[in-house]
Amino acid sequence: MYVVTIFQLLLIYGLLTLSLNLVVGLAGQVNLGHAAFFGVGAYVGGTLLKAGSPFLLALAAGGVAATALGLVLGAVSLRLRGDYLAIATIAFNFAVVAAFLYTPYFGGAYGLSGIPRGMAPGTYLLALLATFALAVFIHERVRNSESGYAFVALRDSEAAAEAIGLSVARFKLVAFALSTALAGVAGVFYAAYIGTLRPEDFGFPLSVTLMAMLVVGGIGGLWGPILGAFLLGGFAQAFAFVHDYQAVLYGLLLALVMRYRPQGILGRTS
Amino acid sequence: MDLFTLTALLGDGLAVGSIYALTALGLTLVYGLLRVLHVAHAGVYAVGAYAGWWAFRGTGSFVLALGTSAVVAALVGLFLEAWFYRPLQSRPPHVALIGSIGLFLAVGDLLRILFGPYQQSLPALAPTPVVGMLTTPQLFVVAATAVLLLGVYLLVEQTRLGLGWRAMAQDAQTAAALEVDLPLMSRLAFLAASLLAGLAGVLVGAYYNQVYPTMGAVLAYKGLAIVVLGGLGNLWGTVAAALLLGLLESLAVAYLGNRFPPEGVAFVALILVLLFRPQGLFSRARR
Amino acid sequence: MTVLEGRGLTRRFGGLVAVDRVDIQVHQGEILGLFGPNGADKTTLFNLLAGAILPSEGHVYLEGREVTHLPAHRRAQLGLARTFQIVQPFRSLTALENVLVALARDSYRRLLPLGKLGTPERRAKAMALLEQVGIADFANRNVSQVPLGVLKRLEVARALALEPKVLLLDEPLAGLTFKEAEEVLAVVTALRGRIAVVLVEHHVRLALLVCDRAMVLDRGAVIAEGGPEAVRSDPRVIQVYLGEEDATA
Repeated sequence: MYVVTIFQLLLIYGLLTLSLNLVVGLAGQVNLGHAAFFGVGAYVGGTLLKAGSPFLLALAAGGVAATALGLVLGAVSLRLRGDYLAIATIAFNFAVVAAFLYTPYFGGAYGLSGIPRGMAPGTYLLALLATFALAVFIHERVRNSESGYAFVALRDSEAAAEAIGLSVARFKLVAFALSTALAGVAGVFYAAYIGTLRPEDFGFPLSVTLMAMLVVGGIGGLWGPILGAFLLGGFAQAFAFVHDYQAVLYGLLLALVMRYRPQGILGRTS
Repeated sequence: MDLFTLTALLGDGLAVGSIYALTALGLTLVYGLLRVLHVAHAGVYAVGAYAGWWAFRGTGSFVLALGTSAVVAALVGLFLEAWFYRPLQSRPPHVALIGSIGLFLAVGDLLRILFGPYQQSLPALAPTPVVGMLTTPQLFVVAATAVLLLGVYLLVEQTRLGLGWRAMAQDAQTAAALEVDLPLMSRLAFLAASLLAGLAGVLVGAYYNQVYPTMGAVLAYKGLAIVVLGGLGNLWGTVAAALLLGLLESLAVAYLGNRFPPEGVAFVALILVLLFRPQGLFSRARR
Repeated sequence: MTVLEGRGLTRRFGGLVAVDRVDIQVHQGEILGLFGPNGADKTTLFNLLAGAILPSEGHVYLEGREVTHLPAHRRAQLGLARTFQIVQPFRSLTALENVLVALARDSYRRLLPLGKLGTPERRAKAMALLEQVGIADFANRNVSQVPLGVLKRLEVARALALEPKVLLLDEPLAGLTFKEAEEVLAVVTALRGRIAVVLVEHHVRLALLVCDRAMVLDRGAVIAEGGPEAVRSDPRVIQVYLGEEDATA
């Protein structure tokens, strides 16, 4: 039973890393604020679930809300590059968390609690698995299609991509939209899973964790993000016995993997 | 505004701003040369603080504390440069960034494991008032910073090392072609940056009379805000931005009190700058 | 027939006038060379035509249609292709894939095209293009491991994949060995009569061999225009290049 619970959490992490991979791995944009979209989906979906709405509606609403915000960040990415964009995404994350913190409707500092699952546990697991499978399908479909190559092209050389007729701006926005939609959906599942949301759960540290999962697992492909999610997501559970040393081990893991295998465990040396 | 309020604001603002300046200067120096956001810099700062605390606890000498922190921090910085940053130079930027964040987390937690999660005190500077509300610690911090900044200024503007740095920051390829020793420049930059950070750590520890494992965290975030405010890679812009932030935070505490956390000032400033002037407040517009 | 035209093109950078009221016309099937001792004005004019930067004044017309304010990707869709002085291949991809991406331009009008990139039809076209520029052997090689001469020709192949009306080449011979330069020039010459080509080059002597017409810029303004022989022996041109080693290169 415990295993199933952890497995569900890992699936949610998997959704998040796959979504992040679309923007970071394929399109090559920096996003150190991905947790914000997860949070938006969670809060919006959670609020609807609490109000008794059917799960599918909450799911759609969470996804749409996250996408809308994702397009905002996408627009920012059109104006800022590299390190500036990285810092902007961090600031974005903080801003969203602050919004949760200071909005009484979302419970402020106390957060949102009492979110119902909206369905039987068995159904929930099936729904989550189905969504995960769908996410994998979409991820692969996009990656191996003309769009996937378009993302890679704009990652490798924006100037050249423009020169062959690719609207770089539009494709960046699409990448962000897809990525954040998926993150928002994951958020709704998370809200139903955990029942209580607090603003600080969706802050910069989570964004760093997501980015770390992606980078440690190996960006770009399919199994890298999934491995990263399961490995680092399961880390806290697996290393529960060294509870006291978790942070230092985790930090060291990040540092060592980046130092000695920067392409990630399943990444290819480029 | 009466003398007391003015001196209180100025004193605290400049003192805090000075600490920011010392740390952020190193951050922007490293960025200018290696184009990497050295998040672990805040970890070096904390290590320096603990080194200084440990020296002070053992010897009672503040001077020794300062010296120890400088040396230890410099060594840590040099190690990071050689073992982590330089080998990863040819990699995409997110590699060094994530690894740096990992290092920062690890260092912070290591300090907790070694020295315990509680605050340690560093009572090296007695808070005696001097003029109005200005206290000795404030004067000391500001004076120490001024001296150090003067040293940096001389180093950067008047020595060949500084020339090498400036060349490398502007155009590393050409600098290398002109036989500027890039690895040496990089090593010395980390040396200088870490030295300043270590000293800043001890100064903060003495100023607030507390040293604790997560003391680098706030500085990590604020450091990013400051270097963007001042212009990534712009040394003196960063110093100006740091002092400015210190003063603004002082004002915020004084006039907004509990309604607005002073940490928010850096954050709001960062957002505004990113929206309207991403190249920084003090950069000659290069965008 | 005029395929590409610039009228009164002017571009200022602060106080500096990089391009000064230049009129330029490129005709169907001709190879036009753009020369000048200073790099900045040629490159700026090139980028104005390509859509990489916007003019301070003046207009650009592609097949009679005003494109002055259209971004580069729109001009590419309308038939204007360009290469880059510092090659910009898609480094994660193979040579073939580089060309395939350019061939998918119709799909890229859609929001999220999910079709297969390497359809048999596209592959055939891509291989044909690679053969046309003589680098078919490198088709499945990742471009990060390929010599510069090959990359330069890949740029041309990728540009030709757009089936352009006009091809802008930005210093295609820069950084090449003599043999590589010959190969590139052969590719360019073969295009004569089929599409319009504008060639910006520093290696004047080599480039003049393939041009039908030439224009020389000095300090942002046109100082000579005409057939290669006339331009080469134009006293103003010689004077402006005097002291420049490239004039005798």
